[in-house]
Amino acid sequence: MNHPTPLLALRDLVVEFDTMAGRVRAVDGVSLDVFPEESLALVGESGCGKTVTALSILRLVPQPPGRIAGGSIRFDGRDLLALPESGMRAVRGRDIAMIFQEPMTALNPVFTVGAQLGDVIRRHQRLSRREARKASLALLEQVGIPEPGRRIDEYPHQLSGGQRQRVMIAMALSCGPRLLVADEPTTALDVTTQAQVLEEIRRLQAEYRMAMILVTHDLGIVAETCTRAVVMYCGQVVEAATTAALFSRPHHPYTVGLLDSIPRLRETRLAELPVIPGRVPDPLQLPAGCRFADRCPRVSAECRVVSPPLVATADGGLVACYHPHP
Amino acid sequence: MDILQYALRRLLAGLPLLLGVTLFSFTLMVYFGPDKTFELLGKNPTAQEIAEVRHQLGYDRPFVLRYGEYLRELATVDFGNSDSTGERVSSLLARTIPVSLALELPGFVLGNLLGIALALLAAYHRGRWPDKLIMGLSVIGMSISFLVVIFVFQIWFCTSHGLDLFPVRGWGTASLADYLRHVTVPTLAMVFVALGYNTRFYRAVIVEEMGRDHVRTARAFGAAPARLFWRDILKNCAIPVITRIVFTIPAIVIGGALLLETSFGIPGVGKAAYEAIISGDQPVLKAVVGLTTALFVIALLVADILYRAVDPRVSLE
Ligand SMILES: Nc1ncnc2c1ncn2[C@@H]1O[C@H](COP(=O)(O)OP(=O)(O)OP(=O)(O)O)[C@@H](O)[C@H]1O
Ligand code: SF4
Ligand SMILES: [Mg+2]
Repeated sequence: MNHPTPLLALRDLVVEFDTMAGRVRAVDGVSLDVFPEESLALVGESGCGKTVTALSILRLVPQPPGRIAGGSIRFDGRDLLALPESGMRAVRGRDIAMIFQEPMTALNPVFTVGAQLGDVIRRHQRLSRREARKASLALLEQVGIPEPGRRIDEYPHQLSGGQRQRVMIAMALSCGPRLLVADEPTTALDVTTQAQVLEEIRRLQAEYRMAMILVTHDLGIVAETCTRAVVMYCGQVVEAATTAALFSRPHHPYTVGLLDSIPRLRETRLAELPVIPGRVPDPLQLPAGCRFADRCPRVSAECRVVSPPLVATADGGLVACYHPHP
Repeated sequence: MDILQYALRRLLAGLPLLLGVTLFSFTLMVYFGPDKTFELLGKNPTAQEIAEVRHQLGYDRPFVLRYGEYLRELATVDFGNSDSTGERVSSLLARTIPVSLALELPGFVLGNLLGIALALLAAYHRGRWPDKLIMGLSVIGMSISFLVVIFVFQIWFCTSHGLDLFPVRGWGTASLADYLRHVTVPTLAMVFVALGYNTRFYRAVIVEEMGRDHVRTARAFGAAPARLFWRDILKNCAIPVITRIVFTIPAIVIGGALLLETSFGIPGVGKAAYEAIISGDQPVLKAVVGLTTALFVIALLVADILYRAVDPRVSLE
């Protein structure tokens, strides 16, 4: 890449959940880099650990039942996992902001938009109430909320889904973070709104010169929005590449399967990633070797012995496969 | 202004409820409840003597007439004279209700405030030892009957078998010290029992709220736990909390006042009601039952208005 030092670097991240049935490794040794100002897509089937990975970055994995069991998260040279909780609070919302999938429930129903925005602003910046309100108004205007002067004193239930998500975006931008983590920010919205909100996110990301991790199901969104993509399967990274390389020349059989199934499904909107035949292994009984083996057309005996390591490809990406597509 | 309109509308809507409950309780009281007939008669009365006494007491008048009269009494808060003592019921109420309020308010308020505080503490430490300790104690509070608690506390605080610090029975409000001397043990008993139920309930409400998305959002934007609990979570819990407080009012009035006042010999409205039940003093009973119902309807109304104040999604329509 053109940027030598990553803004965010995950190394061998492991997140475990204690469930009734036993301990589940939702994230199993994930490593990835996010460089300043780039937008990185995190793609993969439902349940592969995208949200948990995203939450770990802010140390928001619900605990119990979950916990970060290993690895490191470095942000701008600092080890986030070594920070005390108070230090972490200062990072949340100021250096790294996160927006969530469900605009319906992500905002507090009993406080006005202005109160919630102002709260975040005043938490991280020394501003008076009046100044915070002015800043909130400017932000609402900026994220494209009509009549911000009226909306600011309304409650979340008085806003549409798209407007609520815009409020979330305004909140995320309010302290000028250097990294925005967006967990499927448009999945819950209708198609038109989806496109508008996504456009807004793209514009503001460039304007604020933030890096972004965009978690998504939608490969179309990846192609339109992101410079690089990381493909996850079953709690692990199976492929990482620039978007251009990923779409023109996917290496991992799973990625190939995902891309192959796009054209015939493209007309109907994708709520989920396209379906690849076969089932994801039970997280409580993971196979010894490659986790994709049961669904993989290129599987060999070797694949079932030891998990394939993530290795560099000729075109500068990474792939975890013994028999990658050339 | 619209709050006032709303209150009026709700009050009107509360009238059928008031009518229903009073009709029900009146029927029970008049046809199945205790009355004065046999107390006023000697041994082995003849049927004629019975009829005569019942006529004197007005028990033989048509039901509709008596119920109508009762409603008029309720509306004017004038229930005539006690059958037992001849005292005006309204002056009996004016004498006893303030005593009951002074007796029960501290326990009621403390029971809820402490319940919320302990529930917050338990929820904050959920799964760890403070939570387990608090929940364990609340189970004890829940499982011991109120009467047993009163009895044990009396022995413990008020007799030479225990600390012997307070009088077992009686009431006085001559000075603050006098008041405290008499109110402390009943209050402790009330709080002990109320805490058991309240803490469990409030903890469940708070824990549920803690799992909501907006709490995660607040944390993702750097909210500190104290702020999170006192502002974001507590305000969202207000509706179930208010509902619970309102719905425990009848239980407090009936169970609390009756048991506490009779056990501690305190001349409040609960004791008056107890004596009215024993002696079949219908005017007093009618007053107590009717006013309790009215209190409940008003409490529901206040709760409705409070809902609106704490939750913008509730409209006054
Ligand atoms: N609160 C939890 N308790 C127990 N297990 C959990 C919890 N949250 C996540 N997990 C586990 O982590 C796995 C990954 O979940 P995650 O939410 O990260 O998936 P995802 O990739 O975001 O899926 P989706 O696309 O559906 O949002 C789940 O399959 C589940 O086993
Ligand atoms: S390692 Fe083997 S089983 Fe796994 S994806 Fe590659 S070819 Fe398929
Ligand atoms: Mg998810």
